[in-house]
Order: sequence, then structure tokens, then C-alpha cells
Amino acid sequence: MSSRFVSRQDKVFDLVNILVLLGFATLTILPFLYVLAASFATEVEIASRPFFLWPNDPTLETYRYIFSTDTFIRSLLVTICVTVVGTAVQITMTLLMAYPLADPNLVGRGLIMRLILFAMLFSGGMIPMFLVVKGLGLLDSYWALILPLAINPFNLIVIRTFFQQLPGELREAAEIDGAHEFTTFWRIMLPLSKPVIATFSLFYAVAIWNDFMSPLLYISDSSKWTLQMFVRQVTISTDPSTTIGNLDPNYIPPAEGLKFAVIVIATLPIMCIYPFLQKHFAKGVMIGSVKG
Amino acid sequence: MFSRRTLLAGTALGAGALGLSACGGGSGSGSGEPLTTLKIMAPLLSETAPDPEGQLHKAIEEFVGMPLEITWVPNSSYGDRVTVTMASDNIPHIMVQTGKTAEFVQTATAGGYWDLTDILAEYPNLTPENPDVAHGASINGKTYGVFRLRDAMRASVILRKDWLAKVGLDEPVTTTDLEEIARAFTEEDPAGDGSTTYGLILPSWGGYGNNGPYDLWETWHGTANVWKEEGGTLSPAFLAPEFIEANISMKAIIDAGHTNADYATMDAATWNDPFVKGQGGIIADVSSRGKQLLSLFKEADPEGYGDKVTMVGNLKSPDGTLWALPTPGYAGYLAIPKSSVQTEEQLATVLGVMDKLSSEEGQRLLNNGIEGVNYEVEDGMSVPIESEEGSLVSSDVSAFAQIGTQSNGYLGLSSKPAGEAEAAMEEKRQATADSDLDSAVFNPGAAYVSDAYTQNGAILDQIVVDARLKFLAGQLDEAGLTSELQRWTDSGGQQVIDEMNELYQAGA
Amino acid sequence: MTMTTTPAPDVPVGLDEAPVVPPKPARRRSLLKRLRRAPALYLMLLPGLAYFAIFKYAPMYGITIAFQNYLPFLGMGGSPWVGFDHFVRLFSGPDFGRLLSNTLILAFLNIVIAFPAPIIVALMLNELRKQMLKKFIQTAIYIPHFLSWAIVSGLTYLLFALDIGPITVLFNDVFGTRVNFLADPDWFRPLIMAQTLWKGTGWGTIIYLAALAGVDKNLYEAAELDGAGRFQQMRHVTIPAITPTVIIMLILNIGNFLDTGFEQIYMLTNSLNREVADVFDTYVYFMGITNGAYSYSTAIGLFKSVVGLVLILGANWLAKRFTQSSLF
Repeated sequence: MSSRFVSRQDKVFDLVNILVLLGFATLTILPFLYVLAASFATEVEIASRPFFLWPNDPTLETYRYIFSTDTFIRSLLVTICVTVVGTAVQITMTLLMAYPLADPNLVGRGLIMRLILFAMLFSGGMIPMFLVVKGLGLLDSYWALILPLAINPFNLIVIRTFFQQLPGELREAAEIDGAHEFTTFWRIMLPLSKPVIATFSLFYAVAIWNDFMSPLLYISDSSKWTLQMFVRQVTISTDPSTTIGNLDPNYIPPAEGLKFAVIVIATLPIMCIYPFLQKHFAKGVMIGSVKG
Repeated sequence: MFSRRTLLAGTALGAGALGLSACGGGSGSGSGEPLTTLKIMAPLLSETAPDPEGQLHKAIEEFVGMPLEITWVPNSSYGDRVTVTMASDNIPHIMVQTGKTAEFVQTATAGGYWDLTDILAEYPNLTPENPDVAHGASINGKTYGVFRLRDAMRASVILRKDWLAKVGLDEPVTTTDLEEIARAFTEEDPAGDGSTTYGLILPSWGGYGNNGPYDLWETWHGTANVWKEEGGTLSPAFLAPEFIEANISMKAIIDAGHTNADYATMDAATWNDPFVKGQGGIIADVSSRGKQLLSLFKEADPEGYGDKVTMVGNLKSPDGTLWALPTPGYAGYLAIPKSSVQTEEQLATVLGVMDKLSSEEGQRLLNNGIEGVNYEVEDGMSVPIESEEGSLVSSDVSAFAQIGTQSNGYLGLSSKPAGEAEAAMEEKRQATADSDLDSAVFNPGAAYVSDAYTQNGAILDQIVVDARLKFLAGQLDEAGLTSELQRWTDSGGQQVIDEMNELYQAGA
Repeated sequence: MTMTTTPAPDVPVGLDEAPVVPPKPARRRSLLKRLRRAPALYLMLLPGLAYFAIFKYAPMYGITIAFQNYLPFLGMGGSPWVGFDHFVRLFSGPDFGRLLSNTLILAFLNIVIAFPAPIIVALMLNELRKQMLKKFIQTAIYIPHFLSWAIVSGLTYLLFALDIGPITVLFNDVFGTRVNFLADPDWFRPLIMAQTLWKGTGWGTIIYLAALAGVDKNLYEAAELDGAGRFQQMRHVTIPAITPTVIIMLILNIGNFLDTGFEQIYMLTNSLNREVADVFDTYVYFMGITNGAYSYSTAIGLFKSVVGLVLILGANWLAKRFTQSSLF
């Protein structure tokens, strides 16, 4: 594609395209840079300057405070472990289910799809779910953060669509060769689905990382708290102006600088996954070469 | 981290697990055995949860003579956690309730919590010091929990001290004084550098009857506190003429441009900012904001911060009468669920522990920490000890303060002000709080909970909040405001009035 | 060059029964044979089915809470049954019409503006030739997804503040008017859409980029050999390749039609713009905050789900009828 003749119209298109995208990228990145800058600023500076990208008087005080207790580091480690294990479990379970559902010959496929769709729209709610998790003995276990969300119906349906787009001939060819279904899945379909696996692993990882309700409801032991519990604790300050009834006067809203620093620490690690996954999006797959 | 047992439970869930959800009841805490561990659930207001192996936790366990198992829940989602906990069979022995939430009121009246009305008197440290607060904290006269005492007088007007000096005005005594100061702060270049300034800083305020700046202004002008009592009947305070008059004078300040222009939308979380930046010079809020602002100025200028902030209490009406707006005087309860504490003996154990924690020594543990570790006593006040150990305990103190009630009166130590300006401010706060208390306008309906309000209260309050602000913004005229407020009555408010009066007459 | 597939319109993508490719006689096998054909497939389904049974269907009995006055302490067995009371209260309430129209308008804007935005951006990204630039832009635009609504709303207040917000100042200078973005009801929806686009567009592109990455490179080469220009390639290769994904995403999004999001709207609402800002999601919150209205919010949730189900089935039927892609 790169070596071919580039028309004048193409050049104009390219330029406009680049400018629009760069403009959008600037809009999205500036506020985050502000959050980053504010995390190094003093309280007074945050209160007195409306928007800045570089603190006048940089300080490491908030970060020093955050890392002065081992609670924060522990929760960071917990979150990383749960995210890694959880993503592996969840993407595996989802792929395993999506693959057979993409097979046009599967008996009961329509029924299962309808049941999945129904489960996507309707839910029993917080309390019955809590009782199920409790009944399984998962309270205060890290599995409670993983298993209840193991298969996201939305992800499942989209992954199935991707599998369906893979040429059916591949599967049939393998079948004729006498290959085991699982072998076909493992050897042929999965390697072709790398962009999909990368995408949905990212979706699952981010969902686990950002999950707040599961640890809130299922984890009582505060030494097992994940990062999001602290993030919420620090960033969602209770607003006296909208409190129905009076706010507890003992409540002191957390310092602004601390909010920003916690946001930075809690988002940077997960944000860094994406660039690593990008190589899977960079180039299209060579379906022809697989088939040979 | 992932134990083998849970791994098995998690992955090998067969069909047998299907029915599990149904079995909610059964085993656990429900037995008549003497309690050996005390389970508590409490909201966490500080940044990190205390370590159960921490020094303070251990010290408190030793003091009450019983191991404690405390579930700390982030404050912002405490209600959700309470809901699922009450639905399960693993209910703590002491549940902190943050206020008269529907869940608490309904569960209590359905018999879910011990009725302590006639029991508390047996425990000297759980007998309320102030019967008025105790009555207000009751649910239709019955006590379903030990309330957590808080300051009753917190209303303050915080002003830029240097600006006052610059425009040559005294601290305000009446609301008329405040109007004049707001004018001078806008027109007379109080900053002395020609910058644009204004007087009163008003944030967007989405609540009614929760000690907001508009509530303050209304009370100072003689509006009752949420409910107005006249001849033995209650009526909503905002349906009285004083309410409209107060807002007419507030509208005059806004129309004259003596407030921030974005009063309808300013994020209350950024309330301090215009004050610190030198854009606005007056905040009407709680006194603790004055201390906060002083410390912000101190951070910017450790030498000259002393003349930046001053604070007065409630203001008198234009004719010189003082109507002061109090808080409810408490913030939530410690309630004891009947499903986990089943026998009178168990109840006695739990109340015994709470009684101990309300003694002077107990209160100091919960509110100050461990003497010699994180604080020392100087002139009867606490002074923090700067050390790693000390700061750990201090951080835990801010969490443990949530399980203290001090309904028998505060016996802990107050902390020693950090500097002269802080000391002066604290002294003044204390003095005005004491004198304002004599003129406090209490809410006569505080103790009563109407079903109709429980059902629709938030939506009804919204009508008042919106009408008030639309009037101030000029979108409604006086007649429009009156008819919007009438809509409150028509959309279910009348039922609230009827039920409140029924309860009030039965209780009075 | 081996062309294993032709562009999507001719490919049986996402098909169930639609006979685009002439059915081969071998396909029509007996049920037993089909079952026996691939036991591994059914084995692979098992963990998923178990998951749905345990974590989705077992708790489903909770829906009945919508027909009770549920109190957690009393449990489902002990709470009184009230039939359709909560639904009657919702539909007959004085605010229902306003809530419905506000919700529908926002939902509609979500579908026509917020839904296509990531597709367009993904197509634009796909046209970038410089890989470094592409990577940078992709990473930059996906950042806002990680900022919570509380932060986004804080930034909105900062940027759009009356008279002093940088955007307000710029706007006032350019148009010579004084606009109160945050309080003016006319500006509420544009602001919400701007927030949604800002926060979600970059993140939304990921799924389409994955779909684009799945396109057989040979197709482009073939098109190029046929003399197709850039826009023709986009029209004949790229767009057909992501169409099935787009359709499935659209169908799934329509299922959540009435979910306008609570936090975002709640944080941008004030007394002056509430008339256009109140939606079901915020209403549930206000009902629930004093009311402990667990039942009432379950009822509204159920209402939204039923509407979603009807819409999704309709959308699926249309998709099946007019395109090659559908859920079943």
C-alpha cells in the first residue's frame, strides 16, 4: 500500500485526517496531563489556578504520603494479581463458549443465544447475587471478584460474531481431515483471532481493574481491598450540598492533591496495557497463509 | 492468594450449586451462646482502613476485654453494603446507621433492631446528656440506637479579615451588615489591586434543610427550621411568608451582583477556591470551613496568614432578633440487630462494651488515640506526636471515631490549635457556639418520620430547592414561587403534613 | 494469491438460517448425527452454561422483588407482596411523561451521535499510514475512558464555568454572547453528548480496530490490483468487513436503549436545567435515596429491561431481514 502512487486528493485527505485526529487526541490528553500536573501540585496551587500543565511548585508530598503505608502497595499488588488471573479465566471461559456457538450446526444454538441475550438484559439484582456468592463460600475470597463476572454476555456475543466471520471452509477442511474439534479451535481458530483475544482480554482486564461493586459487596477484610476501593474512598467525596439530611461533621474531604495522585497511580498501570496490545491491531491477519 | 478450596468451589461448581442461592437462612450468628467476639460494621471516612493488628485496634480490644471484628465500608457506598448485609445471615452485632434512612426506619419499626428506649438508662455512659437531641434522634419517640453526638452549633460566616480592614467595616452582626459588606467587597476594591471581586460566594446547593447557605439566610430572617409549629400544629417552614421575604432579600444581593455569577452551578467541592484566589470574600457555612481556609492561607504564607480569615456565628435579623440555625446535634446511630444479638444477656454484653467505649477513657481511645504514642496532653488539650508509629495510630483514630457515640457528652480531648490565629479562631468559635445555642431554632418535627415523606421526600424536597433557585435566578416571580411551592402540597406534600401532625400530636 | 473469502456481502457472516450460500446436501444431517459430530463442542459449552446457570439464572428470582415491598431484613419470604403497585406508581406519576421524553431524547442522541463516532474514528485511524502516529493517537484518545465521571464532571465545570471557564471565554469572544452553559437547559444535551463523545469514542474504536485487523490483507492487494483507489478500497473492503460487527454492536446497544447513565447526568444536573435532565436513572436514585426503594428501583429496572428486550428483538428481526448479520 505504501509504494503506490499517491494522488493529490489523497494527500489532502491524509492531511485533514491527521489534523482532525491529532486535534481530538490533544483534547483527550490535555485533561489527563492536568490531573498528572495537579498530583504534583500543592493544595493552594490547585485551589488558585484553574488549569495548568506544569506545577509552579512541584511537590512529591502526596506520593510520599500514599507510599508511606503498605496498605496502598498491598492493594496495588492484589489488584494486579486478581486482574491477571481473572482476565485469563474470563477470556478462556468466554472463548470456550463463543466458539461452539459460532458453529452453524450446533444443536440448540438458537435457544442458548436467546438465553444469553435474556441474561444480558435482565438481572436478579444485587441481593440474590450476594446470596449466591455467599452460598458458594466465596465471600472474602478473590474468586468473588472474578467468577461472578466470568462471562460478559455482551463480549460473548461480539466474540461469537468474530468467530462467525472466519471462513467456515477452514473449519470444514479441518473436519474433513479428521482433526478433533478442539484441535481446530486451538490450532486454527485461535491464532486467527489474536486481535479479538487481545481486545477482549483488554476489556476484561479493565473491567476487573475498575470493578468497585464486587470488592465492596464481597470483601469484608480490608487487607484484601483492591485499588478501586481506595480510589473511590478518596475521589468520591461526600458533597454536603446534596446530602439529604446533614453530613457527618467528622467527615473531612480528602485533599485535592491526594485525589489526583490516587487517580494517576490507579490508572497508569492499566493504561499501559494497551500499547502492548497494539501490535495485534497493527496489521491484518493473513488468512490465506494459514490455509496454505 | 487463591486457596485450593475456593479454587475448587469456583471452577468445579456443578449442578449442585444451582440451588444454593435459595438457602439464605440458617447457620451463623444466630444462637443464644454468650458472645465471644464483637462484630461491628461501620462506614470508613478516612483514606485507609485500620489494620486489625494495628496498635489502636489492639488497645481498644484490650480496653473492652473482647476481640473486635470490624467491617469497614467505604462511606460513599455504605447503604448498598448495609442492604446486602441485612439480607444475609451474617449480620454484625453493632451496625452503624448513618441517619434516619428508610432502610433503618423500616427495619427498626418492623422489629429488626432492639428497642432501647427503656434500657439505656441502666447504662450511665449511654444516658443522653441532652434530652432534646435524644428526642430529635428518636424515631417517633422510640430509641432504636445510641446516637452519635455532634456539635449543635456550627453555622458561621467566614470573611476575609484583611478585606474588612481595607473597606473599613466591622465584622457583621446583622444580615443588613452582611449585605453592606457584600456590597463593599464588590465595589470598593477590597483586594487593593483593582481586580474584580465580589462579596458572597454561593455554590450550587441541591439540598433543602441541610444547613446550606440559603437555609441559613432563611433562618436568620425568622423562617422556622424545616417545620413550623404554631398552636400545636406543624406546617412546612417554606410555606410561611418569612421564607419568601428572606429569599427576596437574598435575590436583591444576587441581582446587585454582590455574589458570584455562577451561584446556580458552582461545584460545592470548589467552594474554597474563590476565597483563596481572592475573588470572593464571604462564605456562609459551617465553622470548620473557617479552619480549613485558615490552613490554606497558612500553606501559602506561613508568616502573614493570621490576618486573612475571620469568622462570626449566626447573624441577627434586620430588626436585631437572633434566630440561630442548629444542626440536628447528632449524626447517625449505633444500632443492635435482633437477628445477631438474640438474647437479653447478649444485648447486655453489647451495651456493656458500648458503655465502656463511652466512658472518658473509651472516648479518648476512639477520638484521640493512645496517649504517649500519637498524642500527648498539654493544657488539657491533645498535641499530636510526630512519628511513624504516631501517624499510623492517628490515621486509625479518624476511622474509629465513627464507632464512638459520646451521647453522654464529649469527654475526649480537643486538639490544641497549631498557632495563635488558630487559637483565636477556635476561642471565638467556642464562644459564639455557646451564645448562639440559646437562640437556636430547633426543628419541632425532628423526631417524627412520616411514611409519605419516606416514600417521596427526596422528590418533594427537590421542588423546594428548584423553586427557590429559579426565583433567585429570576426565572420565577413571587407569584410563580408561591405556586411552585403550592405544587409541593399538591404532589403528596399534604399527606406528609397530615401524617406529621398526627405523629406530632401523639408524641407531644 | 489465494482468495479464500470474497468481501462480506457475499460471505455468510453471522448467519444462522439465512441461505445465502446454497446449502450443501451434507449439511442436512439428522439431529443425532449433528449431536454426535462434535462432542468436543458441547464439552466446550459446559463451563459457560454452568456460569450462566449459577451466576445469571439462579439469582433471577430477584426480579420478583419488583412486585413486593422488599425489606432486606424481612427477606423475600417475609416482605409483603404488592402486585403491580410500583409500576402503577411509575406510570401514573406526575413526572412520567417528562422522564420518558428526556430519556428517549438522550437515548436517541446516543444512538445517532455517540454510536457512530467510534466507527468513524476507527476508519480514520485505519487510513493513517504512519504507524507511530497511529499508535500515539490511539493511546491518547483512549485515556479518558479511565477517568471516572466524577473527574470528567469536575473538568466540565472547570472548562465551562460561567464567565471564567476557558471554553466559555472563547465561545463568548467568538460569538459575542454570554452563555451560561452549565445552567442553560438548551445546552444540557449538547454538554452531555460532548462528555460522552470525549470519554467514550476512543475506547469504542478498539472493537472496530480489532475487526479491521481481522480483514484479510489479500483483499486489499486484490482490490489494488483491480485498480481500486483508496476510497473504493474503503468502500468495498474495509466497510463491508466491519459491517457485521457494527450491526451486532448496534443491536446490543439498542438493548440498553433506556440506560442513559446515572452518574454523568446526575453530576451535570442543577435546579435550572433539571426539567431536561431528569431521566429514569436519576429518578430511581432520588426515589431510592430516602425511600430505600429497593423494590421500586427493581421495578423501573425491569421496565427498562422489558423495553430493551422488545427493541432488541425488533432490531434483530430487522437486521436478519435486511442484512446478513443477526443474533439468532
